[in-house]
Amino acid sequence: MDKNELNTFIHLLQKVFTQKQPPFDLGLIIKESKSQIDVKEVFEEIKKSVDIERIIYDETIFDEDTIDKIIDAFQKNKWVFLEIKKDIGSPLLNQIKHLANHNFLQLIDYQGKDIFEMKMPENSRIIIFAERDFIENKISYPHFYRLFGPTLTL
Amino acid sequence: MPNPETFRFKSPEELKEEEIKRKIKERGPEGEILGGIVFEEEKITDPETNEEKTKRYIYIGNPYDESPIITKLETEATQEEIEAIKKEIIPMKESFEILEAMARTYKHRQPLLIEGPTAIGKTYLAEKFTEVLYGKGVKPLDFYCSGQTDVSELMAKWVPKVETEEEKRKWEEFLESAEAQEKISQIAQEIEQKEKLSQEQKLVLIHTKLQELVKSAGLSEKTQWRFQYGAVPKAMGLTKNPDGSFSFDERKGMGFVLHIEEVGLAEPQVINVLLKLRGKRGRLAEEIQLWENGGRKVKAGPKFWVFFSTNPPEEYLFRNEVDPALARGVVFKRMGELSKESLNLAADYYFTYKLGEKPKEKPEGCILDIYNHPEIGREIAKVVSAFHNDLNKELKKGEKGRKQRVPLTLDDMAHVADTLIDTQIRNKETGLLDLTESLKKHICFYYLDRLADEELKGTMKANLNELLEGVTGKIEFEGKTLTRKEILDILVERASITKEKLEEDKKKAREREIAKNKYEYQDLLDSFLKNPENPESAKKRFLQE
Repeated sequence: MDKNELNTFIHLLQKVFTQKQPPFDLGLIIKESKSQIDVKEVFEEIKKSVDIERIIYDETIFDEDTIDKIIDAFQKNKWVFLEIKKDIGSPLLNQIKHLANHNFLQLIDYQGKDIFEMKMPENSRIIIFAERDFIENKISYPHFYRLFGPTLTL
Repeated sequence: MPNPETFRFKSPEELKEEEIKRKIKERGPEGEILGGIVFEEEKITDPETNEEKTKRYIYIGNPYDESPIITKLETEATQEEIEAIKKEIIPMKESFEILEAMARTYKHRQPLLIEGPTAIGKTYLAEKFTEVLYGKGVKPLDFYCSGQTDVSELMAKWVPKVETEEEKRKWEEFLESAEAQEKISQIAQEIEQKEKLSQEQKLVLIHTKLQELVKSAGLSEKTQWRFQYGAVPKAMGLTKNPDGSFSFDERKGMGFVLHIEEVGLAEPQVINVLLKLRGKRGRLAEEIQLWENGGRKVKAGPKFWVFFSTNPPEEYLFRNEVDPALARGVVFKRMGELSKESLNLAADYYFTYKLGEKPKEKPEGCILDIYNHPEIGREIAKVVSAFHNDLNKELKKGEKGRKQRVPLTLDDMAHVADTLIDTQIRNKETGLLDLTESLKKHICFYYLDRLADEELKGTMKANLNELLEGVTGKIEFEGKTLTRKEILDILVERASITKEKLEEDKKKAREREIAKNKYEYQDLLDSFLKNPENPESAKKRFLQE
């Protein structure tokens, strides 16, 4: 893993844009099919630079719980490292798109509010980690790549 | 002289219309669009209380049209907010076409569906339109469709109240199963057919059926259920409060803007539900009936409006046209690609840094404050816009080794523009900014590094080099034919000259001028004195003076 590239990736994610709206980008890390790199290693390396929480999105977790965890991390001003291991369900995809398009989470009937809105804190970001084959073959949303600013391929 | 027979005085309304039209079509000194959205305040006397109130309005029209159709809408935004929102919209022809369609259909409570490519700005303009209606920072209620969208997310669902994590997990597992979803949908259909039952009786029946379902699944029979509205009924009955929060009332809510995105990805059962939004004479339905709640009706508030958007079918895999029934029930607008002029305009806005705040101080990593030099920005804009256009054409064909299509958006340009401010490369020979290298790096990072097709990546890299440094990329500049790199170098050199250096140069030039004049005078004097034809008395007088 090229640590310089990873640092540049983090640096670009930290950037607050003025010419584009919304001002923060979402980041994508793609593990190429032939890559031997371990996801834990990537996460630990990022953890050295920013306060980040890892969430594994797989068959054992529901979308609602994943969203709860993201909100919890944001409330603590933390970054989120979301490892995608199953096709993204509609509730979670909705929130990821909200973050990409508006830097906001928007939920109906959540925490006692008719509409719950939460701005992505200035010190928080979200990085999605997925394998190339998985993105190409398992993710049904056709514009997945478009949700992200910086993309790092490992 | 006007013909007195045809001469007439214009009514105050006509004069007002003309004034608004002039403001809508207003242009700046360089021909740039300043209008499109116009804010006005009107004083209105309340007939009941006789109190004078100020109401705020916005007028929206397409300034590119010879005779624009102008729509007047009430707004909660202030003049300052409207001005700020306008500054965030690149005044492209397509943007105003969309905004004008939004305003017109909103006013007439008609649902609007726009099918257009990614870069056209549908989502962004839906956000800006909502801000224009409600004030800066207010977002529409957004709902994104996908192949996995469940009808209950749009309409309503019963949610079990659970106490423990274990119970919650079991419930979610059960509710996510295809079997449970099918059975719940069957309950709603069954209730819909029981016309003779009262609403209360229907509710009791729903609960009984749900409990039976729970029992059959081996879950706790004592479960309490809570009814949860989906995005559609919520938007119908939402009211935005003055403090920015939202409240919901299914009968008395004001209604809000609902943006249903990527409707082209919705499955037939979701489309069927959306068709319920069709009302009389092409308008939105005044109310909808939720069979999940015993047929209870939710009334659409006066400010409820639905905007559907989708990308063209060719941008998706395995996707057909928008459902014909849905297309018939809405105002359907199909948009093409951004025109070349619009793309150039967008590039010009990004690279001359007209959107957003410019840095007050030179940021770290910035060698030259290019954001203060629009002459440089305009040249960069030409390069990026040409490259963007070429790559977009290639990407439309699809990439080798990738099923997903990755169309370009204007955000790609914005990324390059913003990064170019504080991530600059220095030319080792001149010590000045190497704009060509900096530009290449950022274009590669934001445009090319994400390509899966290595061959296309290589071709586009070569094209970029040719555009910047090759013979075919040469253009006319100040009477000479130069490469873009040469032009950028000249502009950077000029811009790098500091004020102190300029003053010093001016001072030296002045000194040179004085010295030159002195020598010329000396030469003139010498030739006068040496000329034997000039009288000696005149020479003496000249020397004395």
